[in-house]
Amino acid sequence: MTVIDPKRCDECGTCISVCPSDAIVIERAVSISALKCASCGACISVCPFGALSLEEKK
Amino acid sequence: MNDYDIIVVGAGPAGAMAAMSAAEGGRRVCLIERKAKAGVPVRCGEGVGYRGLTLTLEPRPEWIRATVTRARMVSPSGIAVDIGNVDKSWVLDRERMDADLVGMAVEKGAELIASTPIVSAEKTWSNRYRAVGVDGKGAEVEFTAGCLILADGVESRLARCFGWETALRPSDIETCAFARVKSDCIEPDCCVFYTGRAAAPGGYLWIFPRGGGEANVGLGVIGSRCRAGLPRELLLSFINRQFPGSKVTGLHCGGVPVGKWARPLVRGGVMLVGDAARQVNAINGAGLAYSLYAGKAAGAVAAKSFRSDGSVNHKALLEYQRAWAKNFGKQQERSFALKEFIMSADDAFLDKIAESLSKEDARKVNYLRVFMRAFASKPALLLKAFRLFK
Ligand SMILES: Cc1cc2nc3c(=O)[nH]c(=O)nc-3n(C[C@H](O)[C@H](O)[C@H](O)COP(=O)(O)OP(=O)(O)OC[C@H]3O[C@@H](n4cnc5c(N)ncnc54)[C@H](O)[C@@H]3O)c2cc1C
Repeated sequence: MTVIDPKRCDECGTCISVCPSDAIVIERAVSISALKCASCGACISVCPFGALSLEEKK
Repeated sequence: MNDYDIIVVGAGPAGAMAAMSAAEGGRRVCLIERKAKAGVPVRCGEGVGYRGLTLTLEPRPEWIRATVTRARMVSPSGIAVDIGNVDKSWVLDRERMDADLVGMAVEKGAELIASTPIVSAEKTWSNRYRAVGVDGKGAEVEFTAGCLILADGVESRLARCFGWETALRPSDIETCAFARVKSDCIEPDCCVFYTGRAAAPGGYLWIFPRGGGEANVGLGVIGSRCRAGLPRELLLSFINRQFPGSKVTGLHCGGVPVGKWARPLVRGGVMLVGDAARQVNAINGAGLAYSLYAGKAAGAVAAKSFRSDGSVNHKALLEYQRAWAKNFGKQQERSFALKEFIMSADDAFLDKIAESLSKEDARKVNYLRVFMRAFASKPALLLKAFRLFK
């Protein structure tokens, strides 16, 4: 699934605008729902600060 | 129970204007904002045209940081075109302006509820709307109203609760990084734009002066040509090259929707405004003037659509969409068609236009001339663009 590095995230919401599965939410910080994320990668490539990446399920 | 006539979600310019005009129309309004303070950090180049802004709002003098009288476009290979004939425009202090707009909404009677992200929204059995948020202490809070105005910005999720498909294609988002740069090389009255694959693939880089030797320097990359972290890398390397040793502060990022405006703008008692409705000029990424207009129009229409028994006439809300379509909607669609056209052009094409324009008298060059030259050299694309206009 897609994971977020909170140190790099600026909370701009660009990832949310392209997420087709409504898996990303900002409340106090940005979080990604493991249940909803389809690992499509759309958010990863549009993140201006490179805060998102794919992590293999262990 | 927190019961209102109208709930506005998001206290950016669109939401603040909506709350202000709805409260002015005599309704009980709440303006709910995720952050402690809306508009911080500023995610904007702060450039605005005189006409677009003053159509909705008379700006306070303290909102204006600089007046722009000329512009320069630099082509991929470095050919500069001076545009001497620019419409009057300003570089604003958005932090101040956004805070004042919220203040004005509160003065008119809207209740501001800050530090409360709304996490879900739904229609209730009694034909009203419920929004559920999380307050500063982490507790759930519920709000109900007859009408819901969604002004939750580019990151808007709530429209999806009511059947809108608002997810953007990567080719419909500009992914941006920007910072404030202080340097002796900044021209106080000139906006500078750089284009091309090296500077900003499928977007442009901007330098907007904001007084005191400072400028907003930023760039946007089209999502379909972006990779993780590219906007940040391109920006930092540009600043190092162009303004070596300068003071750089406020490095942030953001997204600008550059698709077509969302249709419909109204579903039942729910209205979309601003970035949430993708009301942004797709050619230059300007969304402020549109957001202000849309917010004001939506709030005013909502306020007068209540029946005497307190219910909302959903059909009457559609007047907002008609007003938007007439005043800015067509223009926004044209900007989208132009964007699609520009995206199909390569660096050599941009260089060719710049070369021919750079020989002309700068005082006569305006933005329109730049576009006309582009079309004149590619008539086939002109036809395509006109088909898109319809
Ligand atoms: C890098 C960049 C540069 C730009 N430069 C320019 C420019 O030079 N000129 C110009 O005209 N436009 C520019 N724009 C566009 C302009 O900034 C936006 O169009 C404008 O801010 C949109 O206003 P808005 O009120 O719709 O959204 P926003 O200003 O984004 O406000 C939305 C608000 O909603 C809040 N919110 C979101 N979700 C929730 C929730 N679930 N619950 C509660 N609150 C929520 C957010 O915290 C935010 O305060 C730029 C944008 C970017 C990103």
